[in-house]
Amino acid sequence: MSFDFRMPRRDLLKGMGAAGLGATLGTGGIRPLYAKGLAPITIVVNQSPWFASFRRTVEAYEAATGNKVELDVNPFAGSLEKQRNSVRSARGQYDILIMNSGWFTEMYAGGFLDAITDIDPGFKLDPEIYTLGDTIYYNAQKKTVTADGKLMSLPVSPLIPLLYYRGDLYKQAGLSAPKTFAELEANAAKFHKPPGMYGIVQRGARGPHTVAYDFYPYLYGFGGGIFKDQSAGDYSVTLNSPEGRAALDYYIRLARTVGHPKTAASDQAEVIQAMVTGHAAHIMMVIAAWSQMDDPNKSAVVDKIEFAPPPSQPGLPTAPGLGHWLAGISRNVPDDRKRAAVEFLRWFQTKDAQMETAKAGGIPVHAAVYKDPIAEERKYRWMKPLAEALPHAVNIYQFPEANDVIAVLEIGLNRAVAGEISSVDALNGMSAEIHKIMEKYSYKTGGLQPLK
Amino acid sequence: MAGAAAKVDAQRIDRQVENADQRLWRWLTLAPALVLLLALSIIPLVGLVLTSFQNIAWAEGRAVRSWAGLDHYRALFSDTLFGAGLWNTGLFALGAVTGQMLLGFALALLVSKVSRARVLYRTIFILPILIPGIVIGAIWKLMLNYDFGLANQVLGLVGLGPVDWLGNGQIALLSVIMVDIWHWTPFCFLLFLAGLESLPQDVYEATKIDGASAWQELLYVTLPLMVPTIIVTFAFRLVLAFKVFDEVYLLTKGGPGTATEVISFTLYQRFFTEDKAGYGSAMSVTVIFLVCLLLVVALSARRRSEGRA
Repeated sequence: MSFDFRMPRRDLLKGMGAAGLGATLGTGGIRPLYAKGLAPITIVVNQSPWFASFRRTVEAYEAATGNKVELDVNPFAGSLEKQRNSVRSARGQYDILIMNSGWFTEMYAGGFLDAITDIDPGFKLDPEIYTLGDTIYYNAQKKTVTADGKLMSLPVSPLIPLLYYRGDLYKQAGLSAPKTFAELEANAAKFHKPPGMYGIVQRGARGPHTVAYDFYPYLYGFGGGIFKDQSAGDYSVTLNSPEGRAALDYYIRLARTVGHPKTAASDQAEVIQAMVTGHAAHIMMVIAAWSQMDDPNKSAVVDKIEFAPPPSQPGLPTAPGLGHWLAGISRNVPDDRKRAAVEFLRWFQTKDAQMETAKAGGIPVHAAVYKDPIAEERKYRWMKPLAEALPHAVNIYQFPEANDVIAVLEIGLNRAVAGEISSVDALNGMSAEIHKIMEKYSYKTGGLQPLK
Repeated sequence: MAGAAAKVDAQRIDRQVENADQRLWRWLTLAPALVLLLALSIIPLVGLVLTSFQNIAWAEGRAVRSWAGLDHYRALFSDTLFGAGLWNTGLFALGAVTGQMLLGFALALLVSKVSRARVLYRTIFILPILIPGIVIGAIWKLMLNYDFGLANQVLGLVGLGPVDWLGNGQIALLSVIMVDIWHWTPFCFLLFLAGLESLPQDVYEATKIDGASAWQELLYVTLPLMVPTIIVTFAFRLVLAFKVFDEVYLLTKGGPGTATEVISFTLYQRFFTEDKAGYGSAMSVTVIFLVCLLLVVALSARRRSEGRA
């Protein structure tokens, strides 16, 4: 699947000019802020909906500095395999790894990355950069992500899911954006007229991080969770709580009553496709897909989609799961390339670079962009709901073995959505397996009484 | 007497030297192949077996290995995916290979009876086998799409459907089997056609003189003579069907639920996606053992049929 995004040349040139100007002004006449003539670097990255914007931002960097950056683009799972192969070899192929929320701790804890401030002690994180649950830091002693750790990475895309809904249909029906799950279900039922229109299309397929990621806003929005208190080191499994059951029952009910019949086999591309072809009234999707909604080459619903924070239970805040991407620097690459990688990140975290990202269809990681007049433009109508939801985003995993837990969730949730097992069996089974995993890795863990 | 005995001894020694030379020569000529076999098959296999008894973790950028004993092999018994994968692989192999054998045989029989444009038919029938797996995945993913797939559009013309070919757990495996039958029937067709064309024609002439019907000819002449070819084809296809991966990966990724989980896909997930090298190795060793077992059973059946012939 391609997520090619075309940007008017004038905008690109303006952006490059701004970046170049920023670079020149920022020097203060002492030393260049963004060094030139550096070693070329290679970045391994996944082809997600935000990739086109990242590529344009990288092109702007190359134009501004003359430094060379090569991108190695892969599918989601393929990117992880390539990263593992590279960091485990004597000499790495990739200087910068673009890591997902599901595996960055594996890279931190495995000792595969150098802290940015170890490579360049003078590196300062821009205070307006989102730290996304402090996931950019890692404390090796505590073996967890915490602000008192070293700066290991920089956010590339602060992805969380938002509710996409058909604003035109809502306007006709005199409805407002749903804030609670009950409202979402009722509104979805109003628009559900299959096969022309589905009330909601969910991402229920099995994958590397597919149905589980789709389920997190429901799980946490119902007040449930996977672990008792990760920050305090308590990994007791709470997935099979009454709240967890309510969330899964609701998720399945949505699929069966107002959802698409093939929910259990729908992945991200199919969910986006349902929305842009005008067959879905709602989807819960990472915000990175926004640019496709208004692209006349891809969308039949240009300017008809609105965005809102994911609904939740009354009295509880919205609770989207962090599905963000971070950029870290490989430990096993030559020093000159590490330094070049730091320079790229130094440039990438500026407001100008992040404005470029936004204009190219990406999601900025710099808070100042969201306060810029650009956020008032119709095109960027997703910025306000995103800024509203981001403070409530949940960092689902704070330990390096997250992949093991995700694998359990993917199969258990998908089986429940497919109707192969009941929600109770799924939750009890997944909880037991997760408990075993945490025990195996010697975490403080426990569990709840099985649901009946 | 003593002279004769000495002559015999000398001849024996000459023979022994000659034999030793021949043995040395045999080993020398065989050595490159043996070295290759050792380097490409035996050593990796030994490495795989050794890894299957270990846990591998990563710290400070280095692999830390620890002894796991038989833990990984024991864990296979409680692995939901492995169990489902094994069961579905059996169903898949049985369904797909049976379909391919029947269709392939029928097509080969038809083409063998055709005297004109035989090359054209043969070319058309083998086309699916020439298409790369990834293209087959794309073709069938589109054909079986719930919302706009050709299959549902055709059903819609006669007032049926739509059918969720790949998303309904009841029929998803059947859909994948259908795709595999479409893909691999040409393989059976080619082998059967070669077998049919090599059958002795005098037997058929004698059958005609005896006044046998076409059905009797098929039942009492063609099928018995084709048994060795059928067994070889069956063995090849069974082993290949047991290793199915690309169609499942491209069409359903094992879902929905565990409906289309097959053993190679489970292995891929455990070994690569979940990065469980030790456990994945144990699963690999088990799969290799099962495939070898299938091969041994199929080949011994062939030997028995040849013995009877």
